[in-house]
Amino acid sequence: MAEKAILYDATRCTACRGCQSACKQWNENDAIIPTKGNGVKSKNWGSYENPKDLSPNTWLKITFNEVEHYGEVDWLFNRRSCMHCGKPACVKVCPNGTLYIDPIYGFVGLNKDTCTGCGYCVEFCPFDVPRLEGSSILGKTKSSKCVACMQPGLNRLDAGYEPACVKTCPTDALLFDDRDKLITIAKEKVAVLKTKGFTNATLYGEKEMGGLHVMYVLNDTPDKYGLPVDPRFPDTAIVWQDVIQPIGWAVGGLTILGLALNYIIAREAKMDKTLPGEKEKK
Amino acid sequence: MAQKNEAVVEKYSKATRILHHTHTIAFVILFLTGIVLFIPQLSFLAQDSWTRILHRIAAAIFIIAPLIYFILKPKAAIEALKEAFTWGKEDIGWLKAAPRYYFLSDEEGMPPQGHMNTGQKLWWFIVVVFGALFILTGLVMWILKTIAPAMLLQWMVFVHDVAFIVTGAMLFVHIYLGVIHPMMTGAWGAITKGTVSAEYAKSHHGLWYDKQLKKGNAKGK
Repeated sequence: MAEKAILYDATRCTACRGCQSACKQWNENDAIIPTKGNGVKSKNWGSYENPKDLSPNTWLKITFNEVEHYGEVDWLFNRRSCMHCGKPACVKVCPNGTLYIDPIYGFVGLNKDTCTGCGYCVEFCPFDVPRLEGSSILGKTKSSKCVACMQPGLNRLDAGYEPACVKTCPTDALLFDDRDKLITIAKEKVAVLKTKGFTNATLYGEKEMGGLHVMYVLNDTPDKYGLPVDPRFPDTAIVWQDVIQPIGWAVGGLTILGLALNYIIAREAKMDKTLPGEKEKK
Repeated sequence: MAQKNEAVVEKYSKATRILHHTHTIAFVILFLTGIVLFIPQLSFLAQDSWTRILHRIAAAIFIIAPLIYFILKPKAAIEALKEAFTWGKEDIGWLKAAPRYYFLSDEEGMPPQGHMNTGQKLWWFIVVVFGALFILTGLVMWILKTIAPAMLLQWMVFVHDVAFIVTGAMLFVHIYLGVIHPMMTGAWGAITKGTVSAEYAKSHHGLWYDKQLKKGNAKGK
């Protein structure tokens, strides 16, 4: 089966947040609505956007970006969730393969059962997506993020369905298909946007981070949508995993080898020396 | 070798020995619960974060034990810290003579040593410096995990790992020299019972032994 992907067309999105709800519903990430007396406890933080950030039980959210857009103030909507990188930093730093690239679809899966809760994926993700559930003070945590509806028992893709967010989207702002097909569709869309005067229109995610499996049709530059313009695989992850850790094993191994060698030589040398000496004493 | 009624000198006080053993146990737990993250075949042990909880308990002991020592024995603590950063010409002489000593049992050319010989001091220096790095980087990852910027946390992981490699490898050297090396006769007794024989002190820690004589802590023969 060909590599799959999700295509998000920001120009078709109405920010209805159906995807956000469908994601929670399908993946059993119930929203907790704080109550106060007989009403809802809420706080105005100056935006229509809600909730404020991704969390262990919010894997997908729509962001509302008030920015200058071709000379006017505009309200740009964006879909914020795991990007499902082709070369994911989280998979690189994950100590035991809890995070993995799905061999069939190409999405980045997360096996909660084996997660140690180290949280390396959280700090090395260039898109700041994974979140830790549980107490990091106590240390009992699990990583949490969008798994493209591939949770065991809730696997929509294996059942032949599209992810819940795509299924529910009323405006076809979200599409699910073979990645190659979606790139072709996206490029056509971008070309149309450019003829309509959106000269900065772009396809985001074709090449970024080894090719994202969530791609974006944007009618302005990525930064206007709150996306990193040039997401990079963190250098620290490469130095740590590919340089320091092999050096560590070499240092440890050579140390033990050296000590064994020393023991053999030193024991011989000591026997040679002390035997006649001890005879003298006696 | 030491006979029962032979003259002895105290090398490590009881408080120092208790701190040593507490810290060793804590470090070994920290070592084992840390290394599971680097051996994918063993990482099933870390599932559901149990090793992480143990790591935190051991870390608390690792941090608090020296602090208690510092409060109870401030003078001894400061003196010991000074020792880690006091280096002289006898240290260069030791480094030159060490390979022949440790491999060939050749004691010639080994200059008289202080309370700690250069090798012990080097390890003590590593314990102090990397212990501080461990605690600093560990606390950031522990307390500020959800608050600190990602870039800072990346470097904390990195430094913690480097400290782990250095101290982990040196721990093997330390245990080997203290327990297994054929030439080591007094070190084990010094850290378990606290004393070494006067003869051993004279031959292995001459500078320190002379001082102890002057202070009246040891009887000359």
